[in-house]
Amino acid sequence: MLLSHVVHTAATEVCFPSPLSVLQGEGPRASCGAGAGQDVGRSCILVSIGGKNVMLDCGMHMGFSDDRRFPDFSYITRNGRLTDFLDCVIISHFHLDHCGALPYFSEMVGYDGPIYMTQPTQAICPILLEDYRKIAVDKKGEANFFTSQMIKDCMKKVVAVHLHQTVQVDDELEIKAYYAGHVLGAAMFQIKVGSESVVYTGDYNMTPDRHLGAAWIDKCRPNLLITESTYATTIRDSKRCRERDFLKKVHETVERGGKVLIPVFALGRAQELCILLETFWERMDLKAPIYFSTGLTEKANHYYKLFIPWTNQKIRKTFVQRNMFEFKHIKAFDRAFADSPGPMVVFATPGMLHAGQSLQIFRKWAGSERNMVIMPGYCVQGTVGHKILSGQRKLEMEGRQVLEVKMQVEYMSFSAHADAKGIMQLVGQAEPENVLLVHGEAKKMEFLKQKIEQEFRVSCYMPANGETVTLSTSPSIPVGISLGLLKREMAQGLLPDAKKPRLLHGTLIMKDSNFRLVSSEQALKELGLAEHQLRFTCRVHLHDTRKEQETALRVYSHLKSVLKDHCVQHLPDGSVTVESILIQAAAHSEDPSTKVLLVSWTYQDEELGSYLTSLLKKGLPQAS
Amino acid sequence: MDPECSRLLPALCAVLVDPRQPVADDTCLEKLLDWFKTVTEAGPSLLLLQENPCLVELLFRVLKAHDPRPRVLSFSLRLAGLFAAQEDCFQYLQVTPSSSVSQQGELLPMLFGESGPLGGAAWTAPTVRSGWLQGLRSLAQHPGALRFLADCGAVDTIFSLQGDSSLFVASAAGQLLVHILALAMRGPAEGHPSPQGCDWPACAQKIVCHVEDSLRSTATLQVTQALNVLTTTFGHCHSPWTQGLWVRLSPLVACLLEKDPIPASHSLVDLLLSVARSPVGSSDCGLWETLAQTLSHLSPTQAGPLALGILKLQDCPQALKTQAFGVLLQPLACVLKAAAQAPGPPGFPEGATGDSITVDTFLSSKSACVGLLCQALAHLELLQLLPQRPSPWPQAPLLRAAVAILRFCHGSAAPTSDVGGHLCAVLAGCVRVQRAALDFLGTLSQGTGSEEGLPGHTQVAPGLPQGPQLLRPGPPHPAVPRRYPWPLQELLPVLRKRLCSPCWEARDSGLEFLTQVTRHWGGQAAFRHALLASEVPELTGQLLRDPESYVRASAVTATGQLSSWGLYATPTGPEHPEVQQESLFTELLHILSTDSEGFPRRAVMHVFTQWLKDGHADVAEDLEQFVARVLQAASQDLDWEVRAQGLELALVFLEQLLGQPGSRCPYAVALPEAAPPATLAQVLQALCRVQLFEFALRALFDCDRPVAQKSCDLLLFLKAKATPCGGPQEAGASPDVVSVEAALQRWQAGEQGQPLGELEPEAVMAVLRSMDLEGLRGMLAKSSDHMEKSPQSLLQDMLATVGVLGENEADCY
Repeated sequence: MLLSHVVHTAATEVCFPSPLSVLQGEGPRASCGAGAGQDVGRSCILVSIGGKNVMLDCGMHMGFSDDRRFPDFSYITRNGRLTDFLDCVIISHFHLDHCGALPYFSEMVGYDGPIYMTQPTQAICPILLEDYRKIAVDKKGEANFFTSQMIKDCMKKVVAVHLHQTVQVDDELEIKAYYAGHVLGAAMFQIKVGSESVVYTGDYNMTPDRHLGAAWIDKCRPNLLITESTYATTIRDSKRCRERDFLKKVHETVERGGKVLIPVFALGRAQELCILLETFWERMDLKAPIYFSTGLTEKANHYYKLFIPWTNQKIRKTFVQRNMFEFKHIKAFDRAFADSPGPMVVFATPGMLHAGQSLQIFRKWAGSERNMVIMPGYCVQGTVGHKILSGQRKLEMEGRQVLEVKMQVEYMSFSAHADAKGIMQLVGQAEPENVLLVHGEAKKMEFLKQKIEQEFRVSCYMPANGETVTLSTSPSIPVGISLGLLKREMAQGLLPDAKKPRLLHGTLIMKDSNFRLVSSEQALKELGLAEHQLRFTCRVHLHDTRKEQETALRVYSHLKSVLKDHCVQHLPDGSVTVESILIQAAAHSEDPSTKVLLVSWTYQDEELGSYLTSLLKKGLPQAS
Repeated sequence: MDPECSRLLPALCAVLVDPRQPVADDTCLEKLLDWFKTVTEAGPSLLLLQENPCLVELLFRVLKAHDPRPRVLSFSLRLAGLFAAQEDCFQYLQVTPSSSVSQQGELLPMLFGESGPLGGAAWTAPTVRSGWLQGLRSLAQHPGALRFLADCGAVDTIFSLQGDSSLFVASAAGQLLVHILALAMRGPAEGHPSPQGCDWPACAQKIVCHVEDSLRSTATLQVTQALNVLTTTFGHCHSPWTQGLWVRLSPLVACLLEKDPIPASHSLVDLLLSVARSPVGSSDCGLWETLAQTLSHLSPTQAGPLALGILKLQDCPQALKTQAFGVLLQPLACVLKAAAQAPGPPGFPEGATGDSITVDTFLSSKSACVGLLCQALAHLELLQLLPQRPSPWPQAPLLRAAVAILRFCHGSAAPTSDVGGHLCAVLAGCVRVQRAALDFLGTLSQGTGSEEGLPGHTQVAPGLPQGPQLLRPGPPHPAVPRRYPWPLQELLPVLRKRLCSPCWEARDSGLEFLTQVTRHWGGQAAFRHALLASEVPELTGQLLRDPESYVRASAVTATGQLSSWGLYATPTGPEHPEVQQESLFTELLHILSTDSEGFPRRAVMHVFTQWLKDGHADVAEDLEQFVARVLQAASQDLDWEVRAQGLELALVFLEQLLGQPGSRCPYAVALPEAAPPATLAQVLQALCRVQLFEFALRALFDCDRPVAQKSCDLLLFLKAKATPCGGPQEAGASPDVVSVEAALQRWQAGEQGQPLGELEPEAVMAVLRSMDLEGLRGMLAKSSDHMEKSPQSLLQDMLATVGVLGENEADCY
């Protein structure tokens, strides 16, 4: 490709505005932009950068039990293959609102390309997916849901990435993971194509907690930072307060001989609470048993032990003396234990009290005021968990029986998201050119948007579900300049001054994704092209009865007198030249008293050519 | 409507219009609309509104609110649309003022007209625009709606929403236009309207003119919108008027092909295929020309999907099919040409010679080259499986091409041309292309032309060890039992390597592959011989103790399959098969009782059930002990799927005992063919001995619903079988029956601890007879989980949530 271009030599940069678009696709099927997903929504963002398409997270919505639970991927390609369209998929962490639709996406819709996630996410993700599948297929008529085999096949497409390791997805696209501190293995990702880059935070936490460190990113100055904004306006009380509160409540219940039920999902929150209780039990020398149902502890703890480098500094340091995940007080639960007298704490699945063991235990214990249920996470409408959290105390079970809930019901949020302060801190760390807020409520995001724009003087966007944001970037494209061209320029003028930009003329060659500025002669040589000359021609009619040679001589004399600075020549064949301009006189075929001047000039002498033509059109001075 | 819901509705409406009350999450509003949809579909909406005046009041109040919440406003628009779908209700909403709100006016124009949200600040929220469109979509069901749309100028707004910043809104706008067009054409214009459009209804005329203008536009976005609207139209509307529409618009579509580059090529391809599939396609010869022209104008990557679409069409001219097939084959023809040592045609049908445009695409960039190859392989793979695939199918050159691609990926190709050199550089180690080629090869080997295909496979093996996931199950096909698609002497070492790989994915895929291969060729002497001579069975056995549970599960399945064919070798050697089987059974039983993860335990249950079904010789040896031990282990399991699988096994056992037709009874091996099936008394005694009753009755009160359902089915089956035969005599209220009933009551109350102990068949049958199993089945089927889905529950939950919504909603899992 050959481009004739003018380049500023000082910076050797060419600026091409290039579009970079981001699509946040969290809306339910049937094309509804249902707000900004302030509930447990489907995180699924599509980024197009430098011609590459990357999907960030592939979450599901737990609140729906029909196909609205998954993002509608037909918006990405109407009929085409996803594998052809997407260059890669990145999963930030193992929560289902970020990875729950992955097997559906890869095995049922059909995506065969690479999926990137960190090693802990890769290990834990299938456990949670399996956990959820088991609950989902329990439902009658549950169709269009992935199978165990699909989860496995999907996980085989995963490529694990290490922190701070630059992974080359292809020749142009590279990604890099940073620590996010939200859950074990949670990561923020930098996506880079050429000089353009985007950082996606996923969910993150800027304050270290009991088992995880704080999120961190280097000053990578991306074109765009896509950040979650769950707690956009909240300055959260410290997690330690919430933990103290939790321990106090559990302790009080156990002390008065009551039983504590903590419905959880297999991994994540459960391990965090196990650490809390384990250390508390040890410190207070408590004897009441703690049980963990469904045999999940071993597996979960295995992973937490395996991924000790992903935990916080304290756990890592003490790891050699004592592994925090080697629980002494927490034992496997047997169904018969639920009927045992005396206090106990039981972690049971599922976390929303809508099936299985947790619900069975709840029904046994609900009738006593001494007992307590602690809900550490979100519950979908329709579940017993949702009902008791909204204060309902008489529950209709099985459509007939009424269960009176006398036990205490507590909600404790332990989710580790950055609050407004944390988000500002991260924006300060990364120094992006633009910020895009996702995963938050519109009104809260508006406040944060203004704050970011004021403080950092960058543009901030908050697209609703299904909306696309397109940004213009100014990528730096390095251009090499041939030595010959530089020498020639130097020979013509002053020495280059680093402070003063100067114009440099040359021919820009784009070959094999490289730009080079060379002299036009060299460009022709390299590309094996012959030089063509472009000439403009014009006919000027003069009333002159003399012969052609005499007319030419008159033209010559006239121009010689007018154009003193130019080289005007009268050639032996009778034609006249001024620089590259050629003038020939000829007789008019029909009118002998008229002579025709044929004027022709090159593209370079266009100005002079036009001037000469207009001069000649005025006629020649009368011969003296 | 349910009286209870009617009672709750006014309170809920009051909450929705109160800006101080937080509204439950979006899912609740969505579910509420789902419910209203079922209610309005089931009965007259007018009556519903008259009986529940709070609903109309809600719509009025939301409209009049100063700063309506976008979510509630959107909900109201959609709700109004649902009601107005019935013409009488539509009239009612047009004219009825609210009963208690001071403002008066026509509700529908206020909601959907320019004085409504359309002109307000709320319009900036995409959810409101989306609600507006969906409301109109529901409303537009009758001629009255058409007049209304025309009067309130809605169609122009819909035109502008086609270019909305929200993908969902833009898409909904396009779909709504199609819906309105179809509605407008449904009435008097039904039939064959003239292409000129003079006899088209005004509304339809307006939409079609808009589409025409958009097609003429120089902005690609507008062209895309128009093409998408037309694609949906031809995809959904098959009335004769679509023919007139195509006659009118096809010249404009054809004009698009003359532009360079062709605008919105993806959408254009979609449209042409949609038209070709519709009745319009079969009557318009010009369409085939347009398709042929499009095929030749598009770039190879763009033309691929069109070519595949054409080849899928039922009836289209042979010449066009040949052209389309040529397009699909071009990339492979290029590869063959680039890989060829000697010049010559690649051997594909005419038209696929590796043209220069495809070569240019290959050379332009690595991603273009990889993308085009993967696309071509995927399309051909898909095509090969279709009944309408081109015939003759160029099996041999396709195989050569796939092998050549694998050689390029593997780095073992020796290219002689520039293109070949470029392909070498681009494809070396490219896992994506390698996988696509292997998948394609797998599908090819299923083809009927396997004879011509085989030589190529020997060249494949070098390509195999590249990536961890490359060995995939699938190739063996029952149709070609005499031939192996993979040469064993090369396959088994590769498989062994896979089984030793540090990547779990590789080990697992290797085992899955082994299972499949054994299933198909376990009886073939050559395969058996080669397999037994290799280390593969031993390695498979070792993988039963793999640290990765997925691999353990696959190893269980593989050893189960090997053992079924007598191929599972242990150190004892093949001369003592009984020791061997015993050890595998014990080993699998050990996994079932001790493995910490569900996958291997579930796999064991599948293997055992299969063994029982197939009449596995060693299982049949002591059938009762086998069943008893398996059921005992399964009953203890914490994974409900294992317990459910236990019931599956119990059912197979039961059917075999009762001599169900169609099932192979393992007893038949031991008993003479002519012997009658065991008597019912014998059967029941056998069931008692293996403790099947205790297992099933316990499962009846399982905390996981599917287990209880399965058990209920099993016991009902048994009850049905036992009753007509006049089973054992009534045991009355014998001590046995009393103790069983007492135990059942305890289990029902959730105390699962106590065992039943020894049971007498009579007592069991008496208990079964006295139990209301049908009633229980009905109850279990009513709500198979504890998610309360009734509208009352939804309304109660939404009302209860008021005031307690805090951080709960921001939490996540």
